[in-house]
Order: sequence, then structure tokens, then C-alpha cells
Amino acid sequence: MRGKALPYVFLVPSVVVLGTMMGYPLVRMVMLAFQNMNNYRKFVNPSLVSYVGFDTFSSILHDPLFWQVIRRTLIWTALNVALSMLIAMAIAALLGRISSWARVILITVLLFVWSMPTIVTGTVFRWLFDNAYGVIDYILYLCGGKGMLHHDWFADPNQGLYVVVTSVVVWGALPFLVLALHAGMTQVPTELKEAARVDGASPLQVYRNVTLPILRPLLMITTALSFIWDFQVFNQIWTMRNGAPEQGYWTIGVYLFEQAFDRNRYSDGAVISVAMIVVMMLVLVFYIRQMLRIGDQK
Amino acid sequence: MSAAYRRAPRRAMTAFWNSVAMLVAIVLGFPIYWMLLTTVKSNKDLISQHPTFWPSHFDFSSFSSAMDDNFGANLWNTVVITLGSVFISLAVGLLAALAVARFDFRGRKPFIVAILVVQMVPLLTILVGLLPLLNSTNLYGSVLGVILAYLVFTIPFIIWTLRTYIVGIPVELDEAAMVDGCTKAQAFRRVVLPLLAPGLVSTGVFAWIQAWNEFVMAREILAPAQNKTAMVWLTFFSDTPTHGSDYSGQMAGALIIAAPVIILFTVFQSRLSTGLTAGAVKG
Repeated sequence: MRGKALPYVFLVPSVVVLGTMMGYPLVRMVMLAFQNMNNYRKFVNPSLVSYVGFDTFSSILHDPLFWQVIRRTLIWTALNVALSMLIAMAIAALLGRISSWARVILITVLLFVWSMPTIVTGTVFRWLFDNAYGVIDYILYLCGGKGMLHHDWFADPNQGLYVVVTSVVVWGALPFLVLALHAGMTQVPTELKEAARVDGASPLQVYRNVTLPILRPLLMITTALSFIWDFQVFNQIWTMRNGAPEQGYWTIGVYLFEQAFDRNRYSDGAVISVAMIVVMMLVLVFYIRQMLRIGDQK
Repeated sequence: MSAAYRRAPRRAMTAFWNSVAMLVAIVLGFPIYWMLLTTVKSNKDLISQHPTFWPSHFDFSSFSSAMDDNFGANLWNTVVITLGSVFISLAVGLLAALAVARFDFRGRKPFIVAILVVQMVPLLTILVGLLPLLNSTNLYGSVLGVILAYLVFTIPFIIWTLRTYIVGIPVELDEAAMVDGCTKAQAFRRVVLPLLAPGLVSTGVFAWIQAWNEFVMAREILAPAQNKTAMVWLTFFSDTPTHGSDYSGQMAGALIIAAPVIILFTVFQSRLSTGLTAGAVKG
């Protein structure tokens, strides 16, 4: 009998901790979405808080800014996921074709990139793209872009977000993706590739018809993970804009932060949180269904 | 002869791909090189009309300018928070991982699925409900509050990865020890735990890195506190007017904060990447 209770006893600490530190805050967050805790006074004095029904929802959902942020987030996330997956697949394929000394060098660089904290990378890339002394402007100028010297990358949020922040996010995402995909590619049996080559397939055909199908489950997982990470990016945007991102830089994570914590509008933040989780789940359901379908085929 | 003839273009191709790979390595490594370079550049070099790719002379003063009054205290906070959350989550997570990996019980599958789903919840959304909770329990502004908050992401991660390690240790080993007269607890302590040690270390290191790098939760929970964490310090450091344009100081600070992570990553490199990718492949 004692043996039967043992696993449950083992689970108690983690269930208690996750229940109080995660489960309860999520419930509290949903409650906040229906309350009026939209200033710090109510935060420190909870007796002033009351339920307002769907009022906060309707004010947020009627705000054009909200839909603008959702749209921007989805486009930006799609761009970042696509770019990081494509570049990662190219580098992973490259790793399979090079000499071992070159592989060691490239993997070492990837590991250093991987180990950089996002706050640090944000700070470093802000310096790289600095408009007065930034090296990127100078390199572009050396490459013939005469007008690029002292170019301000952040003046136009579209350029700042879709070029600069994208570059830092993709750069930071590459190591994990490349190493995971490379590990997956080395698991593709060489006999299969040889056989296809003997049958007269070109390298591209071998890749499309042999490597890709075997990699598919891994590609699904890494794409889903990239989506989860890119969708909620905050640290890099925050540091690159000196802790005060302009509205053109607001993706949903930044928007949530600005409303909930910068302006202490916790109820607005709660509604945005609900929206964030809903959008994320909608996209992930698609992936989970795809993955289940792949699982059925086997 | 014909084989050598066929191999020649292939060797040329390898040389070509090798140079492409080196180009990729240079591009990817450049931001890190630039960070290191900036820390040892003199101010004159930094504000020269055109950036130079090598310092005219080495100047290490950036490291002392980075260490302002708050740096030490904030770094110490980070150490306490990181160690605290890692040790608590290792203890709590090991028990749950054992339950999931070694016992068959009702509710096992739902628990595993829950742990997977829990890892997808954005920290920012938890924070919205967590702050009022911490406020009402007087943990708002306290280091303990941050430690407890970090358990939200360290525990699921540790359960998930330790589970794989425990499954890898054959049950026959503890059974053999029990045949030899060990109790279940003794078998665990003498047989399973030593075999699990490498798994505990690398899982702990990874949780350590995640906690060390966390920013938003630390910033918001420690808002009323005098001392923050090193990550929060770095963002404040670049925001303050006196330090805002001190890029060599910022890069030195960034390097000091990133150094422990980089060192651990290098030391545990092979284990970390194989562990993570194995997890990713197997789902």
C-alpha cells in the first residue's frame, strides 16, 4: 500500500509549488480581466477592486491599437520563424558537407552565440547599429553604401523592428536550431541517400525526397518552438529601445508589458494576456494536429 | 586513377563549402568579437570618425567604469536568486521526475502533458497575476519572491529533462541491489543517485543559465527593492545619462554578466547540446 502512495507523495511538492506560483496567478489573471484594477492605487489597496464584467475586454477589443499590435506580432513572428528556419536548415546542411576542422570552428562559434543572454545581445546589437559610431553603418559604407554612414536604423520602427530586431532574434535562435537540425540530419541513413544517388537522383532531389521526409517531425517541433519564442519576444526589443520602445515596436509582449507594468493597468494587461494565450494556442493547435497526423502515418 | 580523377572536383567542392562555412562563422561571431573589442578600446578609438577593427592600444579601464556602486550588490542578488531557485527546483523536480519515470500510477500521463503545456505559458502572462499574489504575501520586492517565481520555469524544465535521464538507468539495477539486501531507499541512494549525478549536474546547469538570464520577472518583482539583479542592472546602466553613451563600460558589464554563462556552456558543451537535441528529436 505504501508503494502505491509513493509516486503521489513525490508529486506533492511540485504540484504545490506550480499550483501556487503558476496555477493561482493564472486564475488571478483571468479574474483581473473582469475587474477594474487599472491603477497602482488599487494594486496596493485591493479593497477598491470590483468586478466590471466584460468592460475591459470591450475597451481593449475596440482599441485599434490592439489589432494593430496583433497584426504586427503575427507578421513579424512569421517572418522571424521563416527566416530562422530557412537559415538554420542551410547552415545545418552546410555542416554536413565541410571538413571536420571547419565543423569544429563553426560549432564553437554557434555555442558562443547560444550562450549569450538576450539582455546582453540586445545591448550589443544596439551598439552595433548605433547611428553615430555603429560598425554596421561603417561596414555598409565601406561596401559602397555611401549614404549609410550615420544612418539611424531605429528612426523608422519598420526598419528597426523588421531589420534590426529580426537580425538579433534570428542570430540568437540559430545555434539551437542548427545543432538540432544537424543532429537530425546525421541520423538520416547514408545507405538511403547512396541508394537514391545510384538511382540517378540529383543532390537536391535526394534532399527533397529522402532527407526532408525523415526530418519532418523534427522540423515541426523546431518550427513550433521558434514560434513560441518569437511570438513572445520582449527582452531584445526592450534593451534595443533603451527600455522605452516606441509604439511602432510594440509586439504583443511589449504591449502587454507597457500596459500592465509600465502604466500599472493590470486589468488591461490581463485581457491582453488572455488574448496572447488564445492566439498562441490557436496557432499551436494547428501544429499539434499536424504532428498527430504525422504520428498516425508511421 | 579514375577514382582520383573523380575525387578532385569533390575536394574542390569541400574547399568551397569550407570557405562558405568560415564566412558564416565570421558573420555569426562578429557581434561577440565586437563586444570583446569594445571593452578594450580606448575612448579615443570609440569615438573616432571611422570604427577600427583592432584597438590602437589596449585599454582595460572600461571594466572599472562598469563596476559602479550597485554592480556588486546586484550581482550578488543574482547569485543568491539563481542558486536558490536551482537547488529548490532540483529537489522538487527530482522527486516528480522519479515518480513519472519509475512508477506507473493513475494520472501519470495527464501530469506529463501538463508539464509540457506549462512550459508554453508566457512568463509575462503569469506575472500579471503573480504580482498581486506576491504583494498580498509581502514577497513583492523580495529576493525570496523572485526565487519562488523562477520555480515556475525551472521545475517543469527539470522534471522534463531529468525524466529522460532516469528512464536511461535500467530498473534491473535497483532490483539487483534490492535482491542483495538493500531497501528501496538504499538502492536509490547507492545505485541510482550516483548514476544520475551527471544528469543532475547538467540539468542543474541549464536551469542555472535560465535563472541567471531571466530579466522581466526580476525587474518587476524587485521594483520596490534597492538592489536588483545583474541583468536589470545592465539595462539601468545603459539608461542612465552618465553611462548611456559609455559603450565600452556597457560592453564590459555585458561581458562580466555573460561570462559565467559562457564558461558553463563551454565546459558542459557536449552534454548540453546532446541532451537538448535528444529531447527535441524524441519530443
